Amino acid sequence: MSLFKMPPQVVRLVLLTLAIVVSYLVARAILTPASFGQYGWYRGAALEEIAARTPVYAGKQACDECHSDILRKLGKGEHRTLSCEACHGVSREHADNPDILPIKLTGSHCIRCHEANPSRPKWFKQIAVKDHYSGKCTECHLPHQPNQTP
Amino acid sequence: MKTQCNRRGALARLGGVLAGALTLPIARQAKAAVQKLFVSSGAQRDYDPTKHKWLMCIDVNKCIGCGLCAEACKKENGVPEGPFYRTWIERYIIPKPKPGSGRTRGETKVDCPNGGMHGFPESPIAEDQIEHSFFVPKLCNLCAHSPCVQVCPVGATFDAPDGAVLIDSKYCIGCGFCIQACPYGCRFLSPVTKTAEKCTLCYHRITRGLKPACVEICPTQARIFGDLKDPAPETPIRKFYEQNRVQVLKPHLGTEPRVLYAGLDKEVR
Repeated sequence: MSLFKMPPQVVRLVLLTLAIVVSYLVARAILTPASFGQYGWYRGAALEEIAARTPVYAGKQACDECHSDILRKLGKGEHRTLSCEACHGVSREHADNPDILPIKLTGSHCIRCHEANPSRPKWFKQIAVKDHYSGKCTECHLPHQPNQTP
Repeated sequence: MKTQCNRRGALARLGGVLAGALTLPIARQAKAAVQKLFVSSGAQRDYDPTKHKWLMCIDVNKCIGCGLCAEACKKENGVPEGPFYRTWIERYIIPKPKPGSGRTRGETKVDCPNGGMHGFPESPIAEDQIEHSFFVPKLCNLCAHSPCVQVCPVGATFDAPDGAVLIDSKYCIGCGFCIQACPYGCRFLSPVTKTAEKCTLCYHRITRGLKPACVEICPTQARIFGDLKDPAPETPIRKFYEQNRVQVLKPHLGTEPRVLYAGLDKEVR
């Protein structure tokens, strides 16, 4: 029973130390986010929160569900590496509801890539628009089959 | 007798407090479970970040500088208007050396109007004076040893187990240390949220099995994205780094980026 024979000042000191330790543990339990330490020294739930954003671009796979015929044609030509949304614009709404039509784009979109620029790689087909033709690109070129003429 | 009673009472209270402290971890787990139940995120539930290791490869010889990636990134991630970019394209123009200067090339010019989003103006140097010119797409370099993570005073930015370097915007205090620390200039302070922002590798897309917006939209496949932990024997990313000689930006800093470039010039910083 030597514990109970301790001088009162020592008991008070022990109790005070314990109170500090316990209040630290309580504060830590309340203040630490629930998912802290799930993967590392950060809040694991942050990953899910960042991933919760809704995608804007639908992606080529979504187009393939209905327009596989066009994608098959596209796959045979030089434009096979293009994503549908690169020319047709963001089409998530259209992918979710086919009644909403995607944004139509004009010929100026062709020039975005094909206007001659000395910084562009030499293998890439480029034209100087002012020396080429002033009409519409689609008069002579099929965007889905660039090797063929209409 | 009276003091004995007090001691016993004090000890009993002490025991109670200790028992309470021991039950706290259980209470915390219960709290986490309840939070998980009620705070539904709508994110992909079967995505396990420890089972992926994302990697981006960029073929500089394929970039045509159309700026679709920078534009797509802005739209996809709701990046604020103005000079704020999570990915951008730089144009390098290396002129021919002055005759008799004893150099291999002239002074390099780098420009990046609007992050390259709306294309590039005509070259400031006449075409016949250019020795080399090319575009370099840039984004977060996905460092294995990220300087930005090391300097964050509140632990708001971290290396996710799948290789993405992310920001917990709820804990970011917007001090801007990470923006100073990133040697690649990939971070900015958002004028909307007043927190640091950066490329998340389109985390909301890759966790749903989609490609990042810049990779999806690139018309020449200059950007290739893949998973190093993908068990498939021949993935496009593996093919790419096996067939090309790749290098990283600023290797002397020891950040060990996981964005690999093929066809870089020594002038690229």
